[in-house]
Amino acid sequence: MNTIGVRTLLVKEVRRFMRVPGQTVLSPLISTSLYFLVFGYTLGGRQAEVDGVPYVAYIVPGLVFLGLANNAFLNSSSSLFITKIQGTIVDLLAAPLGATELLVGFIAGAMTRGLLVGLLTWLVALVFTGVQLAHPALTFGFLFLTAWVFSVLGLLAGLWADKFEQINFFPTFLMLPLTFLGGVFYSVHRLPEPFRTASLFNPVVYMVEGLRAGMLDKSDVSPLLGLSLLLGLAVSATATAWVLLARGYKIRN
Amino acid sequence: MADAVLELEGLTKRYPKLVALDGVSLRIEAGEIFALLGPNGAGKTTLIGAVCGLVKPTSGLIRLFGAAETGSTVAARYQLGLVPQEINFDPFFTVRECLRIQQGYYGRQPDEARIDEVLGALKLAEKADAPTRALSGGMKRRLLVAKALVHRPRLVFLDEPTAGVDVELRRDLWQYVRKLRAEGTTIVLTTHYLEEAEELADRVGVIDHGKLLLVEPKAALLSRLGERRLTVRLSSALAELPEGARLEGAVLEDGGTRVVYRERRGEKSSAEVLGALYAAKLPIAEVETASSSLEEVMMRVLREGGAAR
Ligand SMILES: Nc1ncnc2c1ncn2[C@@H]1O[C@H](COP(=O)(O)OP(=O)(O)OP(=O)(O)O)[C@@H](O)[C@H]1O
Ligand SMILES: [Mg+2]
Repeated sequence: MNTIGVRTLLVKEVRRFMRVPGQTVLSPLISTSLYFLVFGYTLGGRQAEVDGVPYVAYIVPGLVFLGLANNAFLNSSSSLFITKIQGTIVDLLAAPLGATELLVGFIAGAMTRGLLVGLLTWLVALVFTGVQLAHPALTFGFLFLTAWVFSVLGLLAGLWADKFEQINFFPTFLMLPLTFLGGVFYSVHRLPEPFRTASLFNPVVYMVEGLRAGMLDKSDVSPLLGLSLLLGLAVSATATAWVLLARGYKIRN
Repeated sequence: MADAVLELEGLTKRYPKLVALDGVSLRIEAGEIFALLGPNGAGKTTLIGAVCGLVKPTSGLIRLFGAAETGSTVAARYQLGLVPQEINFDPFFTVRECLRIQQGYYGRQPDEARIDEVLGALKLAEKADAPTRALSGGMKRRLLVAKALVHRPRLVFLDEPTAGVDVELRRDLWQYVRKLRAEGTTIVLTTHYLEEAEELADRVGVIDHGKLLLVEPKAALLSRLGERRLTVRLSSALAELPEGARLEGAVLEDGGTRVVYRERRGEKSSAEVLGALYAAKLPIAEVETASSSLEEVMMRVLREGGAAR
């Protein structure tokens, strides 16, 4: 294992997103504040409660999820795609970096950005709701797995895309619906059948509910089941990405 | 004979509509400068790409540094350097940062002394802290060369390293390439400036349509396929050559004002021919001899295809 190589790739990825603080820092600040204004206050959320939790507090785990998932995905997908378009992928392919090294470098970079934005989102939320962190370790477990899954998905999208618009297929047609049907702003328990059962096949539900369990000690699904399912998802997505990288899918002629 | 740093056996790359490499077998010896020449689309970049892990060969063997295993294994790449034909650059970073990143990719701790040395050799020291997007085209090309060398590879592929580089810097680069060889680095070079190959190469390989037409030491190739041309200008025109000057290969040109003799290896020497022309009392005004360049030899090889082997 070329550990210096992996570290170099990771540091490079981090420096790249640190150079666009508008995207990484400012945008979560703004979007989180807007969500609180719109969903937490103006829609009458000030008085509302879900399962005994004030609505503004209830949506915090979902908002953290949104910031984290979007940024993890965006980082690996755009970084890999730009590397392909710029031609700097040649530097990576010619270097002694195998599929494992590339995978670890890109995923670690994207997870760093996702977790950073998740943390920032949470800090902004604190201003509105005060600290709510029932189970720190459990919370971190779900944050970590969510960041991992979306980093790998971003990597797969970046590998597959030939045109810039294709990068957005995935967020628009898959992530957006799954996210909004994933209980970010409501309890999936309250959905009528068959949507309630259908939502159990949506991995986002386990991520959001897992974070809710960790932060608020309230959950509609078992956190343990969530952790195992997400771990399985992360590992199988990573294995798929490894095979594609090792075969040089769309990066080697 | 020196050890081979690279051996190819029957290397083939087939694209859906064409064969880019057609059973190429080649040995690159340690410490040599090997020029891979051929027209556009001949397969030079494909060959380099196959060795460096950018192209997946359809079949054939690639053996690097005498390793038992074949293929471009990740481990062998620590020792390889590549100047790709296509300019690429990451606009986020400065020249120096790019070189640091490159050292890191190759598993090396940052080595500023080496970076400064390479920047100096490629006349980029002034631009060390400039963002790469602020470099001119020729500077970007030189940065590619710097990136390929900063980790001290044993075998370097230079795919048209001097395209777009000005005359003076090109000569500097040649000198640096010779210095690298003197330090034991093996170099495989492609170029469309045949003067460059003539200047640098120890051996030459000519490739066309994916087939290696010949591989030969440059000097041997030039003397085998090259010719020496003797041109004798006359002060008055002749209708035909006189008796004693009618030699095999000597012809009267330019309305009888010039005698031209093309000397091939193993034939009568130009000096003998010139002696015969003097003896025949021709009105000689001016004598000129020239040897053919690698360019002329290359044209001949490509025209005659494998027949020149
Ligand atoms: N990805 C690809 N798909 C299909 N054909 C390709 C691909 N890459 C290269 N080729 C073809 O393979 C052949 C060899 O190309 P290559 O780039 O190796 O040529 P070259 O000798 O480097 O030429 P040049 O002097 O122009 O750089 C060409 O006919 C080219 O069109
Ligand atoms: Mg080429």
